[in-house]
Amino acid sequence: MAKKVHVTTTINGEEREFLCEPRQTLLEVLRDDLDLTGTKEGCSNGNCGACSVLLGGKVVDSCLVMAVETEGQDIETIEGVASPEGLHPLQQKFLEHAALQCGICTPGFIVAAKALLEKEPNPSEERIRLYLAGNLCRCTGYDKIVRAVQDAAAVMSKA
Amino acid sequence: MNAFEYVNPSNLQDVPQLLSQKRDRKSVVMAGGIDLLGELKDNLITPDRLVNIKALDLRYIRHSKEGVRMGATTTLSDLVSDEEIVKTYTALAEAAESVASLQIRNVGTIGGNLCQRPRCWYFRGEEFHCLKKGGHKCFAVDGENKYHAVMGGGPCHIVHPSDTAPALIALHATIKIHGPNGERTVPAADFFLLPMENLYQETVVHSNEVVTEIFIPKPKAGTKSTYLKFKEKGSMDFALAAAAVALRVEGGVCKDVQVVLGGVAPKPWQADASALVGQVVTEERVVAFANTVLKDAAPLRDNAFKVTLSKTMIKRGVLALV
Amino acid sequence: MATQEEDYLGITDYKVIGTRPIRHDGVDKVTGRAKYGADIDLAGMLHGKVLRSPHAHARIKSIDISKAEAHPGVRSVITVKDLPLQEDQIKDLGEGAANLMDLRCNVLAEGKVLYHGHAVVAVAATDANVAEEALDLIDVEYEVLSPVLTVHDATAEGAPLLFENQTTKSLGEDTGKKSNVTTHFQHKLGDVEAGFEKADIVVEREFDTATVHQGYIEPQNATALWNADGQVTVWCSTQGAFTVREQTAQLLDLPVSQVKVVPMEIGGGFGGKIRVYLEPLAAVLSKKTGRPVKMVMSRTEVLQATGPTAGSYIKCKMGVTNEGKIVAAQATLMYESGGFPGNWAAPGSMCIFSPYNIADVQIDGYEVLVNKPQTMAYRAPGATNAAFASETVIDEICEALGADPFEFRLQNTSKEGTRRADGPTFPRIGNEECLQLARETDHYKSKLEGKARGRGVASGFWFNAGLKSSASASVNADGKISLVEGSTDIGGSRAALAMQLAETLGLKSEDIKPQVADTDSVGETDVTGGSRTTFATGWAVHKVGLDIKAQMIERAAKLWEVAAEEVSYVDGVLTNSADASKQMTFAELAGKLGETGGPVMGRATVQPPGVGGAFSTVIVDVEVDTETGKVEILRASIIQDVGKAIHPSYVEGQMQGGVAQGIGWALNEEYVYREDGTLANGSLLDYRMPTCLDLPMIETHIVEVPNPGHPYGVRGVGEVPIVPPPAAVANAIYDAIGVRLFDLPMSPGRVLEALLKKD
Repeated sequence: MAKKVHVTTTINGEEREFLCEPRQTLLEVLRDDLDLTGTKEGCSNGNCGACSVLLGGKVVDSCLVMAVETEGQDIETIEGVASPEGLHPLQQKFLEHAALQCGICTPGFIVAAKALLEKEPNPSEERIRLYLAGNLCRCTGYDKIVRAVQDAAAVMSKA
Repeated sequence: MNAFEYVNPSNLQDVPQLLSQKRDRKSVVMAGGIDLLGELKDNLITPDRLVNIKALDLRYIRHSKEGVRMGATTTLSDLVSDEEIVKTYTALAEAAESVASLQIRNVGTIGGNLCQRPRCWYFRGEEFHCLKKGGHKCFAVDGENKYHAVMGGGPCHIVHPSDTAPALIALHATIKIHGPNGERTVPAADFFLLPMENLYQETVVHSNEVVTEIFIPKPKAGTKSTYLKFKEKGSMDFALAAAAVALRVEGGVCKDVQVVLGGVAPKPWQADASALVGQVVTEERVVAFANTVLKDAAPLRDNAFKVTLSKTMIKRGVLALV
Repeated sequence: MATQEEDYLGITDYKVIGTRPIRHDGVDKVTGRAKYGADIDLAGMLHGKVLRSPHAHARIKSIDISKAEAHPGVRSVITVKDLPLQEDQIKDLGEGAANLMDLRCNVLAEGKVLYHGHAVVAVAATDANVAEEALDLIDVEYEVLSPVLTVHDATAEGAPLLFENQTTKSLGEDTGKKSNVTTHFQHKLGDVEAGFEKADIVVEREFDTATVHQGYIEPQNATALWNADGQVTVWCSTQGAFTVREQTAQLLDLPVSQVKVVPMEIGGGFGGKIRVYLEPLAAVLSKKTGRPVKMVMSRTEVLQATGPTAGSYIKCKMGVTNEGKIVAAQATLMYESGGFPGNWAAPGSMCIFSPYNIADVQIDGYEVLVNKPQTMAYRAPGATNAAFASETVIDEICEALGADPFEFRLQNTSKEGTRRADGPTFPRIGNEECLQLARETDHYKSKLEGKARGRGVASGFWFNAGLKSSASASVNADGKISLVEGSTDIGGSRAALAMQLAETLGLKSEDIKPQVADTDSVGETDVTGGSRTTFATGWAVHKVGLDIKAQMIERAAKLWEVAAEEVSYVDGVLTNSADASKQMTFAELAGKLGETGGPVMGRATVQPPGVGGAFSTVIVDVEVDTETGKVEILRASIIQDVGKAIHPSYVEGQMQGGVAQGIGWALNEEYVYREDGTLANGSLLDYRMPTCLDLPMIETHIVEVPNPGHPYGVRGVGEVPIVPPPAAVANAIYDAIGVRLFDLPMSPGRVLEALLKKD
């Protein structure tokens, strides 16, 4: 086994340190070493987005990011989306719109949509679909997901 | 994935030495790592050392009146969100935006996009010791070749998967490579190799060299460019056929034109568009031109449709800029 | 008391059913707290990986595991020799059946590998990367054999046989003929030859559909602990904890009570997570190491080695009179079983002509072995392939007649009393109502204009399943109910079950706390599949509610010192019918249970016979790019009879999800096999499923023709939506560009080639 590297990052606003082999992806470390199993593995090679997290505020596939490369960076996962005050509007709207069935793709979609709404508070359906085109859902056909994001955007722009 | 050493040089001068290949220590460059991690997970390569080049300050976009310089680790998203690139080097912005997904564009780099390995499912298949991997056979020739080359193929029939490459060639880009003997600059048009020239590499970059910068000279005023990519799926798909076009029209007459095809040949395919120069661009002429470009196409069993697709991409690309 | 025929209660003013409460497991799922199978982490856990065959068809000559065993990080290496022998007997899995010998061989190959990716050796090691390293140290010597990859190859003269002693069983009799065709069955109604004599127009077409995968985003996973006391616990993501228990116990030669299966949350199944692949391996590895062993498949393993659905060859012939009456229908269904015998042509045959009332029908079904993974159910298995054929032929017939597709279908519609070719007579069904509503949708009435744009229509049927379910519930002192049921929740069924119980008891959805329990904590419950959960487990929770209601009435009677007959229970309020001042809410009474005899629990086990079949109709508008062959879905609508939509949002979700999968099946999804039988596209890059850019919003129209066999009229909704879309898309393409495609998928290259051929 290769020597482990010591990495310090900020995850969901808290400083976290871990030891990892260079060959471990961020996804593996989050799930296997840091107990942050909310981020899911669907395909391991960047073709489904289930492993989406925010790295430095940008949505990335954590299965294609090496954990050693997150040194000093800010990571946000699904576990950090809700606040002590309650669910994020996206989470609330996903529930209200039934935008999840099996729920395995949901963390990835919520993280990606959160990044979208932070950049574009009022996206059209087309922009939503373009932004979320890196996330696969096999259950919903995407209809209710798009509606949930639209509704969340509406709520957030009023706030 | 096999275990490997990960090194993080901050000095470009150290890189060639770190990349020097020994029998028991194979080293590879790591930029964004998008293609690299895929290769590692598929056991396509089993390097002992990854040389991360992101600490070399190669992530930049510098505009000047000469043109634009982009460091090799500039991400594809960086390109898409640069207003000047979108406006003046449109084909590159469109090519970068067409890649995969936002998640991948946020990490993938322009250098990596150029140097990525082919997607051929024999090449990527562990069980197939194909020509490109040092074996004796190209399995695509009489195998499943829907996604393979219709031009320039032989003895290997991969297509080069890069989207930015055709755009860069169409925009007359040059690419700076740093090696043990210092720097060399290669026109993008000469950056790629056909299997006939080199079976084992798709680019001229040696294993102890690294791409550091790409330069695009400012296009002449009035030049427009675009990149049209045909995909089977809305996103997360490589080009089945693509065309990068740069066109300058004055008074309705074509003054300069570059047409470079992607997805159809082992390297981006630069068409000879001289027939269009000095003429008014009409649909009829463009169709005739497209037919000429593809006239020597040699489709395999399953990919004849790529010929039609390419002609369509050429036609639409050129007409979109008129 | 409702009789068998009148189980339907005929309620018109539902209080809970038909509303859209937040699902009970929702918060966990949107915050990442919900635990799926791969999320589990147990102390001392090892990681397992599987070495798989690189060949599609080969004899295993030798296996040398010694170097792997010597690796410092490896704790155990097993082959099929470590699995107890099985007898040649069939076990019902709940959706499909399994032969135990085949199941064992599929889990770890014996003697022969039958498809690329067939499991040969399993390893447990200290971590997943080490386990992968260990696989490279295993040497397997193969004698490579020629594979057969399609029904055409497999049935050709002199085709290599997967099993040397396999003979064809035709119409129930063993023909003695050695073949890759394992089964031939036939359904007949009337005299199909005579029927065709009466036809003025006859259309006969042949179709080929490629192998496709369910495409669930969560790969298979299983963690097992074979404890020192001999008890085996398995945590996995599955559609049926009890079937996993059954299969695992059988394969390990253990009594079922020695195996406990804990169903984790499941990330999609669609029929593909019913058969076991990893569970027995994890268990045996745990036995040998004394530690829990976790195994998770990679995406490539999922595509190579789980259970995609059957590719097929179908011949379909239909005859009509000039007046538009279907007088005869005939089909040959040849379905790929994969490496072991399967049975998916049968459900296909039950559905193919079922939307129509036809007197003379013959259907011949064949199950064919090919060197591909053993096929498994995929959402209405067999029916989608069949509908692609029959609904395309019907479209041609409508064109020949100049008939409107809905008028034609209505003229020939099946209804209550119509006989199906495979035997049963339809009870009350909603096919006609779906067609009538479809015709009136804004979509169908809207004009479609533009070059190369077209509209297609198709119908489909799925019979749905009943099977067994169990449930129990306790009344809490605050009046809330803790409901325990055994149906793993793939799509929001917890909520639909809680809602039915709430309706029965006159409570609110939020008053019920549903829980999906393990096999030791709830009575036997069949799979979440066959569109049975809201129906059958719904029956169970309804009966639990009735049980609780009766007991609460007795407790109130005790408190008020009256006879139970003098207590009325309406909308969750108990009243003394003789003295209206004596009244309590359910919650108030719940607080007094201690004084009236102690806790109240309800229980029920059901095997409800009154299953309601479901019909759907899909309308699709497409635009074909004639210069690239790309088909864009402009608009898609689905009209479906759901009996009663318990939670309309999740019913709509099932409809939309089925349409989306059907569109993927129609346009881009296929397994590409190389000539040597290896799978070329074992990744989600090249197995192309629809992204959100490939689909429009999907319009849903719920029809409610109550199922007389369920108290609330429920019909299964999950499967039938996938049946019509491929045919609807094909018909739309024809309408758009005048070219008919008879092979799936209708990918751009194929559309382009068809267009070029036409010109």
